[in-house]
Amino acid sequence: MSRPGAASSHVVYGVLGGGLIGYWSVAYLDGGNGIQEERWNGTLEQIFATPTRLWVILLGKITGGLLFGLLAFLPTAAIAYLGFHAVLPNLDPGRFAISLGILTFSFFCIALTLTPLFALWRWAFSMLNGFELGVYILCGFMFPVAVLAPWAQGVAALLAPTWAVRALYASTLSGGPRDFVVWWLATIGLSLAYLAGAYFLYALVERKARISGQLALA
Amino acid sequence: MAAQPAIEARQLRKTYTTTRGIFRRERVERAALRGVDLKIAPGELFGLLGPNGAGKTTMVKIFTTLLLPSSGSALVLGLDAVKEQWALRKRIGFVFGGERGLYWRLSGIDNLRYFADLYRIPPDVSRRRISELLERLDLSGRERDRVELYSRGMKQRLHLARGLLNDPEVLFLDEPTIGLDPVGARELRVIVRELADAGKTVFLTTHYMFEADAICDRIAVIRDGAIVAEGTPSSIKTVVRDQGIVEFEVVGMPVERLAGLRRLPGVTSVAISEHELAQVVTVHCARPAEVMTQLGVILDGINLEKVSSREPTLEDAYVQLIGDSQ
Repeated sequence: MSRPGAASSHVVYGVLGGGLIGYWSVAYLDGGNGIQEERWNGTLEQIFATPTRLWVILLGKITGGLLFGLLAFLPTAAIAYLGFHAVLPNLDPGRFAISLGILTFSFFCIALTLTPLFALWRWAFSMLNGFELGVYILCGFMFPVAVLAPWAQGVAALLAPTWAVRALYASTLSGGPRDFVVWWLATIGLSLAYLAGAYFLYALVERKARISGQLALA
Repeated sequence: MAAQPAIEARQLRKTYTTTRGIFRRERVERAALRGVDLKIAPGELFGLLGPNGAGKTTMVKIFTTLLLPSSGSALVLGLDAVKEQWALRKRIGFVFGGERGLYWRLSGIDNLRYFADLYRIPPDVSRRRISELLERLDLSGRERDRVELYSRGMKQRLHLARGLLNDPEVLFLDEPTIGLDPVGARELRVIVRELADAGKTVFLTTHYMFEADAICDRIAVIRDGAIVAEGTPSSIKTVVRDQGIVEFEVVGMPVERLAGLRRLPGVTSVAISEHELAQVVTVHCARPAEVMTQLGVILDGINLEKVSSREPTLEDAYVQLIGDSQ
């Protein structure tokens, strides 16, 4: 690895990558696990039948997950930072903070969109890990998206965190493209598109759940 | 029934559709409700009786907006349970039997606070109501303990407290006393009766005939998704009005001997159940005295014990109505 004071991109990926994986993992899994736990507790039907919309209930759960995820990110990044004896001389704190905030928003939108699927389809829970790992690779948590195959880069471009992660890394490195506003807007735009899809998805899930009765364990 | 019914079902049907197989997927349909018509007056304590799989829980879930019917209509307080679920959910409460349905790692009071928020009850109202419910359901003093430390009876009372948080006009109770010890079950029945006396409409499903007989104003018996009898407990008993019941215990009786009993004049049904090593035989018949005199002849050589004759109960009427599906 590089000597302290001269962090190269692979050191930065090492420092931040672990934290990002921890953040995404907790934020994303918390929603899916939360729904599964509600089903096992027998409380999924109870909360579904209250006058509060399912998305509002999940919003609270997902926000809690994001908070725990953020708590996972900071110490993981700190440990990696200290472990590598690395410093980030080119860190732009302002852009880093904005990128992290926008990344958080994208995680929130993905979790809010995907979580109702776990309420409806029990088999969706078994896909949980696959999607979690896919995002690590496709969104460039551990290495730049540019090293992926062209088709994978195409898929990555449709995932909102890809652009926020790119901005996050760029805010710690000198040189290379610096299109922060474009990346931030791409993240926000894609996240809002997910939310628009979620609007219809929630209506579908609520109707399907009432037809199939799949909110109960048995 | 002049006033608008509190609960009404019109030709209510529900068919569950599932698929099986991976490559050649096959649709499997199972009818849970087959055109149920029902009217329940405001303030009535109505009991729905039926064996497992008869459609009791499906009906409760449709009325509580958790399920959509395949056809027909379900109205509660004049609101359509299919289309007006948001308005309806504020005005009804429900309790499902069993220990699940609570957050075990939270305290009892935190469970109630959480659901009070989901029912959008203003904080000052919820504080007062939670305190009243804890007191009324004998949970005061233990409300800050985690639910995992509660006895089954306490959990069920907490369920009921949750179901009453929004002060519902109609309360649905799906087998609320299941698994409770006799004292706990009796306490819960007293509370349910008090709720009905206070003006709440209560829709109760149960397996226990004596429970329905003791507290319900009116009952219906459901079998294979259809109502087969409806009325007051005493009117339901008229199904077996002209009958008496002869019961006796035997050990190791060959089943073919039952055929002789069934052939006796006036015998309408013969049921047999295991009780430890013995078999308990229940004979529904028009003339119990004649059956008792014939018993010695038909069961010659078999040791008869505890032979008795009694008046029919609601359970006997239920068994008669449910017949072989039980």
